[in-house]
Formats: sequence, C-alpha cells, structure tokens
Amino acid sequence: MDILIISEYILVIALVIMMLASLRASAYKSTSMGLLGSSIIVNAFAVALLICGSLYNLEFYRDISLALIFFGFVGTIAFAVTLGGEDK
Amino acid sequence: MIEYIQSALLIIAAILIIISAIGLISLSSSTKNALYARIHIVGLFDIACVIAMIGLGQYLLAGIYFILAPFVAHAIANAYWKKEDRENNIDLLTVEEEVDENHPFIHPKEKMQALESENSEKLKADDRFSVTTIEIDEGE
Repeated sequence: MDILIISEYILVIALVIMMLASLRASAYKSTSMGLLGSSIIVNAFAVALLICGSLYNLEFYRDISLALIFFGFVGTIAFAVTLGGEDK
Repeated sequence: MIEYIQSALLIIAAILIIISAIGLISLSSSTKNALYARIHIVGLFDIACVIAMIGLGQYLLAGIYFILAPFVAHAIANAYWKKEDRENNIDLLTVEEEVDENHPFIHPKEKMQALESENSEKLKADDRFSVTTIEIDEGE
C-alpha cells in the first residue's frame, strides 16, 4: 500500500477525532463555544472532502470544500457580529 | 521523493490535529477565560489544516484558509468579550487601582491633576449659588 494513501487515511482519522472533540466542546454552556465548535467542524469537513477528492480522483470535491471554507467564514463572522451586538 | 514529502506533511498535520483535539477536550471549563484558551488551541488546528492542504497540493485553498482563519478567531473572541464575558463577569468593568506598598502616599501626577480639575469644577458649580440676604427695613 502506498505511503501517501496511508498518511491520507491517518489524516482522515485525525479529522474525525477532531470533529468529535469539537462536537463535545460546542456543548459547553457558552454560546461562543458553540460558534467555535461549528466553525471547527466545517473546516475539518472541508479538509476531509479534499482528501476524498484526492483518494478517488474527483475534481468537484475541491469546489465544495472551497465553498465550505468561504461560506463557513462568512457565517461565523455574521453570527459573531450579531452575538456581540453594538458598542456601548 | 515528492510523495514522501507530501505524506510527511500529512502525518505532521494529523499529529497536530490530534494534539489540538486533546487540548480542546482536556481544558477544564472552570479555568478562567477558557474560551480564549480554546480559541488559541483552534489556531493550532487551523495551521494543521493549512499544512494538510499544502500536502494535498491545494495551494490556493491553503492561502485562502491561512488568510481567513485569524478573522474568525478574532470575531469569536470579540463577540465573547463584548457580550458574554462582560455580562457574566461584572468585575471586569471595575478597574482596580494599584497602590505601591513601599510609597503609599505618593500618587501619580496625572491622577492628582484629574482630582484638582474635578475640585475646580465643583468650586465653579458652587459659585453659581450666591448667598442672598434679606434686608429688613426697621422703619416700616
């Protein structure tokens, strides 16, 4: 088995562990913690999609992961601005 | 040769991601300012993702993610500071004045000037009230 494929599988397993950890962390009492956890999950999923694209030689995974990274960023910023409110 | 470099980058990214996952879970919630520490840990995860993207050959995505990640961390920390942290910890709004134990009677110049200016304003405010006396004419 190729060493590159093995390392890609290891990275996928690490990303799944990170997703579970951030899912647990997003359940803490603070609302900001939920925002942080969801941001981590979106980014981890985008990287996992990139790995799937390279494993199965599919091009469109890259576009989906680009959309996930960009719109995840926009959503997180929008929610953070709403959460913070106006300056006193 | 390139394959070995790519796999080394991916394994380094995987190790960093596992370390950040352990840190994210093991950090106690009773720790003071735990959310800022968790945002700091997520910074490690972001850089691990950038390394993984470089290892996969997606340089443009890595650049975009490298630029966008600090904005997300700052936005979350700013929102927490502006709303939840201030409302839950009222002590943050009161600033404690430090007193030098060796010289307790020496005060900074700016503070004394501010006190003097406050006093002068009070004096000006007191001057507005003039004392009136009633003149009594004894002849009436």
